[in-house]
Formats: sequence, C-alpha cells, structure tokens
Amino acid sequence: MSASSAGAGAGGGVGARPSRVKTVLTVIRAGLRSNFGLATLKHRLLKEKKDRWLVPLVGVAAIGVVPMFYGIVLLIENVYLVLKPMGQERALLSFGILAGQLLILLFGVYYVIAAFYFARDLEFLIPLPLRPGEVMASKFAVIVINEYLTVAAIVLPVVVTVGVLARRGVGYWVNATLVYLTLPIIPLALVSLVVVAMMRFINVSRKKDALILVGSLALIGLSFALQIGLGRSAGGRGPEASAQAVAAFFTSPDSLLNKVGAIFPPGIWATKAIAGGFSGEGLANLALLLGVSVVLFAGMVVAAEKLFYRGVIGLGETTGKRRRLTRDEMSRRVSSGRRAFAAIFGREWKIMNRTPIFLLNGILVSVFVPAIFVLMATLNKGGRGGGSGGGGGGDPMALLGTLLSANPLVVILGAALFMTICGSVNGTASSTFSREGAQFWISRMIPVAPREQAAAKFLHSYLVAMLGVATASVVAAVFLHLRAAYLAPAVALSLVAGVLLAAVGMMIDLARPLLDWTNPQKAIKQNLNVLLALFADVGILTAVFFGVKALMRVKLATNVVLGVVFVGLGALAAVSYLAMLKFADKRYPEIE
Amino acid sequence: MIELTHVTKSYNRGKIKAVDDLTLTVKPGEIFGFLGPNGAGKTTTIKLIVGLLRPDSGRIAVEGYDVAKEPLKAKQVTTYVPDFPAIYERLTGLEYLNFIGDVYGVPKAERLERIGKWLEIFELAPVVTNPIQSYSHGMKQKIVLAAALLPAPRVMVLDEPLVGLDPRAAHQLKEMFREHCDAGKTLFFSTHIMEVAEKLCDRIGIIHKGRLVACGTMEELKAIDRTEAGQSLEEIFLELTEK
Ligand SMILES: Nc1ncnc2c1ncn2[C@@H]1O[C@H](COP(=O)(O)OP(=O)(O)O)[C@@H](O)[C@H]1O
Ligand SMILES: [Mg+2]
Repeated sequence: MSASSAGAGAGGGVGARPSRVKTVLTVIRAGLRSNFGLATLKHRLLKEKKDRWLVPLVGVAAIGVVPMFYGIVLLIENVYLVLKPMGQERALLSFGILAGQLLILLFGVYYVIAAFYFARDLEFLIPLPLRPGEVMASKFAVIVINEYLTVAAIVLPVVVTVGVLARRGVGYWVNATLVYLTLPIIPLALVSLVVVAMMRFINVSRKKDALILVGSLALIGLSFALQIGLGRSAGGRGPEASAQAVAAFFTSPDSLLNKVGAIFPPGIWATKAIAGGFSGEGLANLALLLGVSVVLFAGMVVAAEKLFYRGVIGLGETTGKRRRLTRDEMSRRVSSGRRAFAAIFGREWKIMNRTPIFLLNGILVSVFVPAIFVLMATLNKGGRGGGSGGGGGGDPMALLGTLLSANPLVVILGAALFMTICGSVNGTASSTFSREGAQFWISRMIPVAPREQAAAKFLHSYLVAMLGVATASVVAAVFLHLRAAYLAPAVALSLVAGVLLAAVGMMIDLARPLLDWTNPQKAIKQNLNVLLALFADVGILTAVFFGVKALMRVKLATNVVLGVVFVGLGALAAVSYLAMLKFADKRYPEIE
Repeated sequence: MIELTHVTKSYNRGKIKAVDDLTLTVKPGEIFGFLGPNGAGKTTTIKLIVGLLRPDSGRIAVEGYDVAKEPLKAKQVTTYVPDFPAIYERLTGLEYLNFIGDVYGVPKAERLERIGKWLEIFELAPVVTNPIQSYSHGMKQKIVLAAALLPAPRVMVLDEPLVGLDPRAAHQLKEMFREHCDAGKTLFFSTHIMEVAEKLCDRIGIIHKGRLVACGTMEELKAIDRTEAGQSLEEIFLELTEK
C-alpha cells in the first residue's frame, strides 16, 4: 500500500471519497480521546467510581487559579493604560500573540516528535487504508487542538483584556477568534516540516535514540538561541521595572517585538488582523494568515507523503550487532551480585535515561527550568549597550537581587523557593510507578519489599531533583550574584524541601498509577499524577510561605526563623518519607 | 508445593466469577498441567498463586508460605512466566538477567553457569547485549524463561509457556520441565494444548468456568468416565467442558 500511495503522489484528492474523510475524522477522534484520556477518566469516574475525589480537587484548583489570573489581567491592564496614550496598544497584542507562537514552537518540537514517531498507535494507523499525509494530518490536528489549551493561558488574557478595555466591536472579536484558531498551525507546520525531514535521516542511522535526543535538543536550543539573539538586538531600556519601562520596551523602534516580527511575520499579521477588525488592513492580514496557514499545512502533507513513513517504519529496530560474548567478557558482565536496592536504582536510572520522552520530561526539565532563567538574564543583559555584563541596574535579575537584598531572610527563602521549584517541577517522582507501565508485574513479583523498592525509586527521583537544585544554585550564584552566606542555607532548605515534595509526588503516583499506557508520553507528560503533584507542590509551598510570614511577624532573628523553617521542613520531610514507604507496602499488593 | 484452599476470585465487583471455590494441591517433584478452554480462569488462578491478584476468599500457600501473609518468603521461592512477555524494553537481555539475579540474590558462580547454559539452549547468546526492544516475541519469551530459571526456584509457575515458541525451544523447555521436577521441585503450568499436558504432566487439572471439573493423573482422569477405555485426553476434555 505504501508503494501505491507513493505513486499516487500528493495531488490525488484528499477529500475524494467521503469514506476516506470519515476514516481521517475517526482517527482524529480516537487520537483526541486517547490524548486527553477522557474515555478512561469517564470510565473511572462513572463506572469504577474511582477518582471521584478529583472533582472537588479540580474545583479547588480552579478557585486557586482565579487570583493568579486576576493578577495577570491587572498587569495587562496597567501596561495597556500606559501604552494607550502613546497609541501603541497594539504592541501589547503582538506581544501576547508572539509569546503564544514562540511557546508553540518550543513545545511543538516535543509534541510533534512524540506524536509522529513515538506513539504506539502508529502500528495500527499505518496498516489502515490511509495515506501517510492523512495519518500525519490527523495527528497534526490532535496536536493543534492540544495547543489551543497551552496557548489559551497566554493569548486569551491579552486579547480579551485589550478588546474589553478598548471596547472593540464585532470585527475585533470575530477576527480574534479566527486568529486564535489558526495560531498554532504555522509554527507547528514549520516544526513538523523540520522534524519530518530530520527523522527521515535519523532513521537510517544506527544510534537512533541518541540522535533523536540530540536532534530535539538542537531544535529546542535553536529556538532558545533565536530568543537570545533577539534579546541582544532588542536595544537598551531604562532601569525602572515599571509599566513605563515595559511600555518603552514594547515600543522602541528596534524593540524585541519588531525584531521578532521581522523574523516571524505571522505574529504581526495576526496582530494586524485582530487590531484591524473588519477594516481593509484587518481583512487583508487575516487572509494572509489563513492563506499561509493553508499553504504550510498543505506543504507539510505533501512532505509527509514523501518522508513520513520512511522516518517511522523501522524506527523501533535497533541495528544491533549480533555478537557472542567471550567467556571472559561474559564473566565480567555478569554482575557479582548487587544489593536489590542498587539493582532497582540502576534499573530506574537506565530506563529513564534510555527513553527519550522520560529523559526530556524528567532530568532535562530540571536542567532546563533554571536554564530559562539564565536565558532571561542573558536576554536582558544583552540589551545593555556595552553588554559587559557587570550586573548593572538595567538587568531585571540584578534588580531583583538588589530589591531582595533588603532583607537577608527574604533573599534566602526566595532563593530556596527558586531552587526547590527548579528541582521539583519535573515529573520524575510523580510518575515513578506509572513509568513502569505493563512491566509493573516484575516489581510485584520480585522478592524485594515494596518499601525497599520505593526507597530506591525515591533516591532516583531525589537525585534528579538535586540536579535541578544544583543547576538552580549555579544560576543563583552566577547570574543573581547571590552570596555564599545566602546560598548555603538556601541550598540546605531546598534539599530538605525536595525530600518532602518527592515523597508527596511518589505517594500521589502510588495512589493511582497509570500502568496501561502504550505511548510513553502518557506515563509522564500526559500523566494527571504529574499535574496533581504540581498542585500539591504549590499547595505545600504556599502553606510554608504563610507559615514563614507568620513567623516573620513575630520579629524573630533571621537565624531563628531559618532554623525553625529548617527543622519544620525536616520533620515534614521525614514524616512524608516514612509515610511514603508505608504507603508503598500497602499499595503494591493492591495494584492489579 | 502449591496449595489452594477454597479460593474464589471475581472481577467487576463479583459480576464475573473467574475462579470459583478452587481447591488444589501440587506436590513437590510434580509437573502439574492446568488445562482449560479460553476464559476458563487459568491466568487468573496463576496470578493468584504468584500474588499478582488477591483472592476474594480462600488461602494460597507456596512451599508452606501463605502468599498473603508472607509474600516475600513466597516470592523468594517462586518464579513466574506470564503469558505475555512484557519486560524492560530498554534494558539489554543481559542487564535484565543481571537485575533478576540481583533481586533474587543468585551468587556469581551459579549465575554465570546458568546464564551461559540457558542462553545457549535458547540461542540468545548472540543478542544478549542488544536491547530487549530489538527481540522478536519468541526471543522475549525466551529471555523471560531464562530469567525465571536463573534463581533455580523451588516453584515455577508458567502461563501458556509453549505458545509462540519454535519447536526446538519447546522441546528444550519440556526437557527443562522434567529436569526441574526430577530435582524435587514443583512446576505448575497452564495450557490449552492437550497433547502437551498428556505427554508431560504427572497430574492434570481441568478448569472450566472457574471450577475445577477434574483433577488427577492421566489414568485417574480416564477412569472418571468408563464408557470406553483408551479415551484420549481430548475426549475427556471436550466432555467435561461441554456445558
Ligand atoms: N482484568 C479482568 N477484568 C475483568 N474480567 C476479567 C479480567 N481478567 C479476566 N477476566 C475474566 O475472567 C475469566 C477468566 O479469565 P482468564 O483467567 O484470563 O482465563 P484463561 O487464562 O483461562 O483464558 C474470563 O471470563 C475473563 O473474561
Ligand atoms: Mg490465559
């Protein structure tokens, strides 16, 4: 069938037969359903009556998000009010849209690789009477819909706030809706083209996993580099971190925005389409945006016809050399008996590092998050005329540092919070059981006490968290110029907090492990447990925050407050770790 | 030795009774064949024995250890080969065997000898340093078998072990069964292939709709129905599982 479809080429009418369209739609629907796990969730909620507790929790989380959203809207409103008299309110729109598109570009690499090449459903899709372009189009549709959610958090507040404040008419809202729906297509189609081409060539090579990883990192790195480059050319800004400064930042003739716009014009088209409403300018730009989206999408489908399957088929094959080990080699390679703890730790480590999706979402996240801060620092320093990086007043990071240094306690706790977050936002702990998937029976069978297995898993998750803490402390020392006297207690605090958060993450995953996945993406990236653990982390850190605030009101000495926080967190950490081990003993036999 | 006493297990909150009041003893040195049509409850019984499922009621003991009360002791003496070889795709065959050797505490000398032996027999030696991901279904099954043999357990429990094996490997596996039990150990396996059960087993249990409908040596089974001497197991099987 691949031969005939290749022969038919790309021109052969996608919508020729209605049954074909129906199949594509079915594939999309199946993709969406499995992607969002709605069927499973519905089943769990209604049939098995598990997970009912999720409903109130989601409600609480939603309420928690409201103040945050309100804050964002307030900020947007302030910037708008500054920009308005200058007639530059459009800059705000472009900013929201471009930020959304950059985000899509960044995460897109990742979604596209996972969906196009690592989803197991390909094994079922490829034999279907669908052309490669159609399979890819349906997968693309699923990613686009996914991205609507990602982008909503950034684009919607800006577009809606500006629209409401400016009392815009119907044209604004109609165009905004169309733009929103089209927004992910251009960046994703670009990413897809690059990825499909890349995979076509990676697939012929031997070290596929390594190459995939390097390739994705290169792509992500490239988009970072793009931003840094933009930042460097962004031009100077005043030192005040006020709405005025932000406004100046938006409007200066060679501002970040215009540079981005120059390189990535769809953002500008989108802005003009929305801002222009039903005027000539608005409609022309809307047409441009839609037209380019369609062309790129079509281009991607054409490329898929030629390249897609050749990149997918045989991806799972390893061109392993068949080689018999000599007696000596065998004797060396057969281990002389590690403790079970070490064996399990080793297994965790190997599987994590050898599964690209796990590696990206676990270890690399804990390096990336701090790296993003470095990036922001570089980006802003780049704007300083000479760029000698002496940490001048114009550097918001340094500014932040100066601001905070007013109170050493605040600096230390702030740095500890930063490090804790960097270490714990990755999903390593909260997916540690889910990641075992269909192989969990092995853990159930082996004669190793669940608590010992959990302890080994804990060590693994905790080491990943420490990696994040380490990177974050480098960032704090080098880019925030944090003094050692502040750094040391901050590191100590975040190491203790890391125990608590890792144990809580593991308990969440233990309570409802997701074991029936076929696409490793589901075990970590789309695992609800990872999200729940993030909520829990935010909750815990907020509670600690209020605790500390109460302590500070009592006006104790800095060291005393730090001591109390340290001891308090330490006690919580110890209790949660022990509780996690106990919970493992209880849960292992129950998980069927 | 495996003992099941009045074991019951149902799925979906009691709607599907997969195992119904099963009582059964498998003695040391015995190859026990567990025979039944699809959906009879073989896999469920096996998962109950190895502790992957918990019975609704009844007691299960392996080598005298209550599976529910002393799970680690029971696990230490049991290995299990599932019907579908889901194992760590990202590890190499040798890494997996090492992992199993480590968690069961197999000393180096024995480990080296047994790994060498089973890799040769199963013809896995040339691929043992490749990731399991690259193995065929049959090769995965063989590495699971090799892993189950590595600790030289007193009890082995296998779910349809011969399905998907090539004739050569199947032959070798049967030899291994005999060897294992001649050393006084216990072997419990399920199958729906009657010839295998007939040729290989010391005793056979026939399960149908979760109930043990017959159990005994080949001779004893033949004696159940006296209509005709020399009845084959297939005929007995079809008769017993008719309803
Ligand atoms: N996880 C499960 N959930 C619900 N029913 C199941 C499950 N596993 C097995 N069953 C049912 O239990 C019965 C016995 O299944 P099984 O033990 O797998 O049979 P066998 O291995 O003999 O083919 C069947 O009716 C099957 O449908
Ligand atoms: Mg079965």
